Amino acid sequence: MTAVQPTTMMSGRYQRAFTIAVVVLVAGWHLAGAGGQLLDYRPAYGSFAFQGAMWLVMALAITAGSVLVLRGAPGWRAAWVVAVIALAASTAAAAASPAGQMLAVNWAWGSAGWTGVLVLLRRRFAELAWFLAAEALAILGVQAWDGLNRADLAGFLALLAWSTGGQVAVAAGVRALDLAAGQAATAAAGEHAARERAATAQIIRVARHARWLALQESAVPLVAELAAGTADPGDAQVRVRCAVQAARLRRLLAEGDEVAGSLVHELHASADMAERRGVAVEIETAGALPQVPGPARRVITDAAIAILTAARSQARITLAVVAAGIAVSFVADTGAVVPLPAAGEGVAIEQQQDGGMFWAEARWNSR
Amino acid sequence: MEQQVTVVIIEDHPVVTEGVASWIRSDPGQRVRLVQMARDLTELRAVPRPSADVIILDLELLGELVTTQIPDLVAAGYRVVAFSGHSDPAIVMETLDNGAHAYVSKEEGRDHLVEAVLAAAADRPYVTRSQARAILADQRPARPTLSEQERQALLLWFQGMSKASVGRRMSISENTVRQYISRARAKYAATGRTAPSKDALLARAIEDGVIKPGEIMPYTSFARAATDRPNEGAPGR
Repeated sequence: MTAVQPTTMMSGRYQRAFTIAVVVLVAGWHLAGAGGQLLDYRPAYGSFAFQGAMWLVMALAITAGSVLVLRGAPGWRAAWVVAVIALAASTAAAAASPAGQMLAVNWAWGSAGWTGVLVLLRRRFAELAWFLAAEALAILGVQAWDGLNRADLAGFLALLAWSTGGQVAVAAGVRALDLAAGQAATAAAGEHAARERAATAQIIRVARHARWLALQESAVPLVAELAAGTADPGDAQVRVRCAVQAARLRRLLAEGDEVAGSLVHELHASADMAERRGVAVEIETAGALPQVPGPARRVITDAAIAILTAARSQARITLAVVAAGIAVSFVADTGAVVPLPAAGEGVAIEQQQDGGMFWAEARWNSR
Repeated sequence: MEQQVTVVIIEDHPVVTEGVASWIRSDPGQRVRLVQMARDLTELRAVPRPSADVIILDLELLGELVTTQIPDLVAAGYRVVAFSGHSDPAIVMETLDNGAHAYVSKEEGRDHLVEAVLAAAADRPYVTRSQARAILADQRPARPTLSEQERQALLLWFQGMSKASVGRRMSISENTVRQYISRARAKYAATGRTAPSKDALLARAIEDGVIKPGEIMPYTSFARAATDRPNEGAPGR
């Protein structure tokens, strides 16, 4: 997931820049190109007021289309409403032009085509093609109504090539740029992932070193004593120390495994030694457990190791979601109160001895 | 002597049936009598009247989950105690919602199955640790509201303490612990789909003073609660 997000974000940024460029191009065309032509041929129109009104309708359609595309990809309905309004305004403006001069004084064809490019830019290419074809047919229809001679047809074809050609070229260009931006972003994301992997490797190296140090102060002295013969494996105390260290080693190995539900996983590893001694260990969870930070997990698993080492034949470990965190409890037939390691790291420990059964609960609060 | 409670075992593994039968036989009071054993539900359907007070139902028969058959069994007049290796809280909740009196996981069978059958025969709540777990894990929007005390009693019971220990921990009597746990169970009988078994449990709980009629949430169907949630209906509605 983390690898995808920067990619889409970056290529999204490029795409937005292309969109803004198209908005500027279309607005510029309508203001300077179409607007200039409208003013130039002012006396030639039958009704300049009507042409001006159509120019304003087109300006509104372009404004609406710009807002739509700048807010994200518009749906087909919104896009086509804007496109059809532009098409209608253009056809009306053409139809109201004086016969015989329509192609010369027509300011609207280009603006309508550009509006279509604006709103249909990131939809299927066929939709833009249909729109531009409909536009050209509408103009041709108006021209045919006025009477079509060879010169008119040539003029129509020249205009078609000039305006539609430019529009198709811009649309295709943006498409190509979108694609390139996607590729660039993917490459950047790949680089980012590589950097992230390197950082993770560094964290793992530090964690391994910390584990090695932890072993130095607990397990290594015991092994040294056993080797030197100063600790007697026949001594019950020594056997308990061995069991605790073995459970810790397993937990240290489990801490290295980055799996979902790390705490449950580490508790299973801590229970392993007790199970080898023939203690029946049950581990049950209730609810979707929150992620507990490493130091707090270690306080909890230290308590688990102490209790499981003292358990005679059975132990039950439960993890339950409580108001602001997690309650990990232990019930075991230890026969006596178990001295528990210190609480801390946001973990509070409570205990109760009842007959031969010992209960302890470690609560970690996220707040 | 009180009349024996009659029970049918529906279980597709003969070795499990044998185990259950031996637990019933070794009950010192001989309070339960096994009248029938079947490997599926077809034999029961053939009999017009309930042939026993309680059914011990394995939830998975020949590889198929039969939780959806519980409403029919309940409607036929049986009380159902589910006995299953599935301890997934969602399955436990579905089983209770469908009208089973109690849920006993296979690990809990030796200690709890006979007691659960006896409680069911009397329409009294019996909450195993796996049931407590499912209630604690319940996050459905239509779940009943439990008091702090009920939740704490359920939590300590789920954790593995005896009810006497739970009482000492909470500084209340063992009887009050039972009361809290039973009340939580009774609240569940008052929610979800309707079933005669749930009405019977609730009526008995009110009669026993476990719950007051005012503490029962108004009945809401889970189905209705689901469509009430915004943005989850069919698109456009």
